[in-house]
Amino acid sequence: MKEETPIIEIKNLSKWYGDFQVLDDITTTINRGECVVICGPSGSGKSTLLRCINGLEDFQKGDVIVDGVSIKEISHTKEIYKLRSRIGMVFQHFELYPHMTALENVTLAPKKVFKIPEKEAEKRGMELLEKVGLREHAHKKPGELSGGQQQRVGIARALAMNADIIMFDEPTSALDPEMIRDVLEVMVDLAKGGMTMLVVTHEMGFAKAVADKIIFMDEGRIIEQEDVETFFKNPKSDRAKEFIDRILVHI
Amino acid sequence: MVDVSVIIENIDLLWGGLLMTFKLFIVALAGGLPLGIFLGLGRLSSRKWIYYPVSAYVHFIRNVPLLMLIFWIYFSLPILTGGLVEPFYAAVVSFIIFEATYFGEIIRAGYQSVSKGTIQAAYSTGLNYWQMARYILIPIALRRVVPSMITQSIVLFQDTSLAYVIGLHEFVRMASLIDNRVIRPLELYGFVAIVFLVICSIGSQIVKRLETKEGERK
Repeated sequence: MKEETPIIEIKNLSKWYGDFQVLDDITTTINRGECVVICGPSGSGKSTLLRCINGLEDFQKGDVIVDGVSIKEISHTKEIYKLRSRIGMVFQHFELYPHMTALENVTLAPKKVFKIPEKEAEKRGMELLEKVGLREHAHKKPGELSGGQQQRVGIARALAMNADIIMFDEPTSALDPEMIRDVLEVMVDLAKGGMTMLVVTHEMGFAKAVADKIIFMDEGRIIEQEDVETFFKNPKSDRAKEFIDRILVHI
Repeated sequence: MVDVSVIIENIDLLWGGLLMTFKLFIVALAGGLPLGIFLGLGRLSSRKWIYYPVSAYVHFIRNVPLLMLIFWIYFSLPILTGGLVEPFYAAVVSFIIFEATYFGEIIRAGYQSVSKGTIQAAYSTGLNYWQMARYILIPIALRRVVPSMITQSIVLFQDTSLAYVIGLHEFVRMASLIDNRVIRPLELYGFVAIVFLVICSIGSQIVKRLETKEGERK
């Protein structure tokens, strides 16, 4: 049984780009240790939602509370940097630093943000690269790694700050099919290890295997939030049904 | 018949001209680069009162011939200010004003070539703006910018010969003066061409090396 301590509370969150509303009254709670999968058609606001949680994007209404801290209050202060270091993020297009080796990508933030000594940061960095199966590639630049390897470096980088939460923004959708498995395996291990995870993905196999909850979004709104079984067997809305059909047929 | 003795006999004068060319080049570069950095940053500014004047300046200068700018500063400025302008200063100021706009655009392009996602990734790990700029933005942008910067510097080096028109005794002017006396255009201008070719080729080779190195990184 997982403890029911909320770590992220999203309250009536709304966001506009000019006249266009990207997020419409989003309310949900994520508990410590939970793995939550967010899915929905493209343009439904999933990625934007993640970016509001760590303050990479501003929002106009509502609030996000991360472990008791209001993002609205700290979004334009130095506090936001501290908060971001507690939330790892993994990107669709990896976004590794192209001029640094895999190990440097992983150790930069611990060294600069936490002022961890070089040797110690490197030791920990090597452990993380080992964990994602890339120890022997530690001294390669991103350009010398395959997409799947780059994404696993991305995961190691997100883990390096000992974050409480890791957010994944479509981590496998830019990858070739044979590389998706390697990345998903790492993610499954993390989820089983009790990491709090927020995963925007269409990998329904992953969702079925480890997700505690599925949030289905469309046009900036949360249409359903259910446990995995209920979502797949008895989706309440037609839109979710349609979406599941399309995705499962695709598989 | 080609007779290279004219070069050997006048080598001191030609050397003096080449030194003047280098002097022009170095002073223009020393002024043009910093001004270019400011223009580049101005073109990236979200503050309208910085962005628009800088953009107007860059747009105007890039769309007039350099030769006209040199004439304008050498002949027109004295009419407006009442004082004479030394040819050397007129040339240097023209080059700085002109080349800075090109350097500025290169810097702007370098900055914009750094993916927004990479910057967000740096922020997502908790880096603040200055850390992000120092470890991510500037190193990446610089690597992309240096080859174009050297290429533009080569162009500047060639452009210095335009100072000829206001009577500055740079390399080409020197060759022309000697030619007026000895009438040996083939040898003299051939020599000038070879010297420019050698110097600029060295610059191009450096660019090529840097670009292959950058290519390997990707």
